[in-house]
Amino acid sequence: MTQRSKEAHAMFLVLVGLLAWLVPGAGHLAINKKKHAIIIFVTIVLTFCTGLYIGSVGIIDSVGAKPWFIAQLMNSPAVATLGRISQAGNYAVYARPNEIGQIYTSIAGLLNLLCIVNAVYWAHIERTETIGD
Amino acid sequence: MSIIDAFIIASFTVPEKIGVSPQSILWLLPLVASISIVYKATKMPKIKAAGFLKEVVVLFGSIVIFMAVTAVVLCALAWLITE
Repeated sequence: MTQRSKEAHAMFLVLVGLLAWLVPGAGHLAINKKKHAIIIFVTIVLTFCTGLYIGSVGIIDSVGAKPWFIAQLMNSPAVATLGRISQAGNYAVYARPNEIGQIYTSIAGLLNLLCIVNAVYWAHIERTETIGD
Repeated sequence: MSIIDAFIIASFTVPEKIGVSPQSILWLLPLVASISIVYKATKMPKIKAAGFLKEVVVLFGSIVIFMAVTAVVLCALAWLITE
């Protein structure tokens, strides 16, 4: 690979990673893996929404539950907006529903992190196989 | 705002009623299902419905069985220590 194509390749990998973070599954869509993208999008969004449904939007707490919030943020940057809404609204959140909701939303975020890494890895493998470097 | 919109928003602003009971452990099943689905989607280069479903079911079953065995072992240990 020439220096220029190496830079373009690195930029493409960053773009795939960013897309995968913005919308779950979008990274796989960018590398033409439509089935993977649909499965990932539906599963992660459903898991995240189930968590919100169980524990209420109050489980996204960027102040009182920072480690959970970091994991939740892996779903999408849109979670930060939900965090702001949650802080402003003072929503009820307590006991077992809080725990289960936090676990669901955080696991959804960590699963999306796995998908981000996977999309970038496949993008790298496919590009290097095509170019032959 | 329509009644449907208000209902949807309301359902995400009030927690569900889930007590601290053995049944609440069942909430792990949907989570295990989504972990199995996403993990297998990242592992399989080509997805075909039948093969994918089989792999997901095997992983789901393995996780649940392993957790059940772990729970039994921990219960037995707790029983041995406390008796």
